[in-house]
Amino acid sequence: MRSKFWFLVGESLKKKIKNKWFLVANVVLLLLLVGIFNADKIVAYFGGDFQNTKEIIVMDTTEKSFPIFKEKLELANTSFDFGFSLSITSTMDSIDTLKEEIKGTDKILIFIEPSISYLKASVVSDAYLDTSLYQLIVQSLNATKMEVAINSTDIDIEEYHHITSNIEVERILLDNEKTSEEEISKTVLSVVFPTLILPFFILVVFLVQMIGTEINEEKSSRSMEIIISSVSPKTHFFSKVAAGNIFVLFQAFLLLVYALIAFIVRIVLGGGNFSFASSSGIGDFFSTLMNRGILDKLYYFVPIALILFVLSFLAYSLLAGILASMTVSMEDFNQIQAPIMFICMTGYYLSIMSSMFSGSIFIRVLSYLPFLSCLLSPALLLTGQITIVDSLISIGLLLLLNYFFVQRGLKVYKIGILNYSTDKMWQKIIRAVKNGKE
Amino acid sequence: MLKVDHITKYYGEICAVNQLSFSLKEGEIFGLLGANGAGKTTTFRMILSLLEPTSGKVTLNGKKIDYSVMESLGYLPEERSLLTKLTVEEQILYYGKLKGMKEEIILKRLDEYLLKFGLLNDKRRKIKELSKGNQQKIQFISSIIHEPKLLILDEPFTGLDPINVKQFKEVIYDLKKRGCMIIFSSHQMEHIEEFCEKLVILVKGNVVLSGDLKEIKKAYEKMNIFIRGDVKVEDIQKIDGVLEVITVGGEILVRVKNEQIVPAVFQVVKKRDIRKFVVEEASLNEIFIDKVGEVL
Repeated sequence: MRSKFWFLVGESLKKKIKNKWFLVANVVLLLLLVGIFNADKIVAYFGGDFQNTKEIIVMDTTEKSFPIFKEKLELANTSFDFGFSLSITSTMDSIDTLKEEIKGTDKILIFIEPSISYLKASVVSDAYLDTSLYQLIVQSLNATKMEVAINSTDIDIEEYHHITSNIEVERILLDNEKTSEEEISKTVLSVVFPTLILPFFILVVFLVQMIGTEINEEKSSRSMEIIISSVSPKTHFFSKVAAGNIFVLFQAFLLLVYALIAFIVRIVLGGGNFSFASSSGIGDFFSTLMNRGILDKLYYFVPIALILFVLSFLAYSLLAGILASMTVSMEDFNQIQAPIMFICMTGYYLSIMSSMFSGSIFIRVLSYLPFLSCLLSPALLLTGQITIVDSLISIGLLLLLNYFFVQRGLKVYKIGILNYSTDKMWQKIIRAVKNGKE
Repeated sequence: MLKVDHITKYYGEICAVNQLSFSLKEGEIFGLLGANGAGKTTTFRMILSLLEPTSGKVTLNGKKIDYSVMESLGYLPEERSLLTKLTVEEQILYYGKLKGMKEEIILKRLDEYLLKFGLLNDKRRKIKELSKGNQQKIQFISSIIHEPKLLILDEPFTGLDPINVKQFKEVIYDLKKRGCMIIFSSHQMEHIEEFCEKLVILVKGNVVLSGDLKEIKKAYEKMNIFIRGDVKVEDIQKIDGVLEVITVGGEILVRVKNEQIVPAVFQVVKKRDIRKFVVEEASLNEIFIDKVGEVL
């Protein structure tokens, strides 16, 4: 019987992996990950208007602002690397002539003139301006104004810096074990974690669909009777569950490999330097992970999260198998698949919301519930909203549920797989549960 | 020897099979008859141990049927039960391996059967590309590829033309010769009459008739007389014990109550110009309709 179990597992995996759609989906996933990790490089590689030299014409009627403005603007552009270069020229043509000149072009005209508050300026263009470029210009104009103002008053540069510098704020945490770096990491992780668990959500969808479709196919083609006359429902059920879980774990491994490939591609494209643009969320995430406070947590976080993930995969697959045994068509299965997906989605959104409602008792209680715990518990644990004990309670409840599914669900499955009744799905399930009890 | 001993199956309060008993020796073919919903599929499932009887038991050579003996059982369900996306070879390999067979043996036997059924060139074609009749042949092959000791054939001739029916019959007889016990279910009574020594007729789960076919026919007293000639139907109808007179294709079929009525009929028609006067036992079909009709 054991060899038949592995034969069925092998056949299920073969059916899934030898399928051309598996290949297509994985090629798309690989390209997607490489694309996401290297989005900035790819965009830069293909070029476009954003790469053009931005031509800025400055008409400075103050006769002292242009050199300062030019210096500030160039410095800011170099510091932030917006992906375009600047050509800044000064002119003393009439404003009307200049307006006529820039019509139908991408040129930008900046008109700086004296004002009661030292300087005022107009930014004139024919087309809409890129937000980052506009902000760059405004910041440089502000900096220019400051310098012009300082030059015109008796304030020395040191005094000026004292005035304009940010207020010093010292963060004091009474608990000596807590650090301010960790506090910042938590905030970042609460945003990044949902991104990290998105693949888990996708894998649950794969898992439920795989098991449901296979059982349904065998039932609707009536080959189930032949199969069950050769192997026990128990062997059949667990072979489907095992195949589904092996498949998603394999798919998860492939996703990690794709992520690694994406990193390597990034390093190659970056000329050996592993760096992310300042705006990159991935960069933020890895910077956060490299923060000492988070690394200290990983030794217990990773095992707990992995146990929760694996047990939840098991729970989802057992539930999908039990419910699929009651269906007689794909329509039926879609009908019961939707609530499973909603539960998973609820967990996903709650894990996002957990950072917004930090300390919420409601979310904390939900984090114990199987199906939701795999998504909520790690998020809350990482952000310090719950303790390891809470996560262990979630694991315990998941174990209990899986035990219940194996004990009671198997009886329902045995009844369900040979039941071709067209009664209402939920009535059949309730009846099977009742009969299973007997 | 297969022994079905007073098996009863309840679904909730509905009795699907009630106190069914029969036995089957090696090399015997047994007929399980019944109208739709009579409890045939439930009986098959109980024999295959897919369903646990509410009471009673099924044994094969004295042992309760469980998954340790499943490899010696074959089952051809009434409905098509093939994975249509697979090729013929993949399908038979799949079912064969589930029966614990080695790949080389499956492939060798598959080639033999495909040759017998004229499907050798379709070995690598997908099941869904085959005609219904050919799909039925593949299904039949899948149920016998492991040379079962007990074979359940539920409507095996569905969708087959007479030539294919003949091929199937040859294989069934061959299996019988090799000692295979066969339980046969069909709505075509001529097949049952041809194959089965013993049978059971179920109506709503209850046994209405069971035993040896010859004895059943003997016990069923009604007889049929086929007459061809210049005979007045009204004269025959007047005879006491004549149940029915039907004219079919130039022939007169007279149904009589029992054997004793036959001479009276002959007395009436012998004065006429008759070319045929044949007395036959009632067909199984008639017995079936009669018995099932009585209960329904």
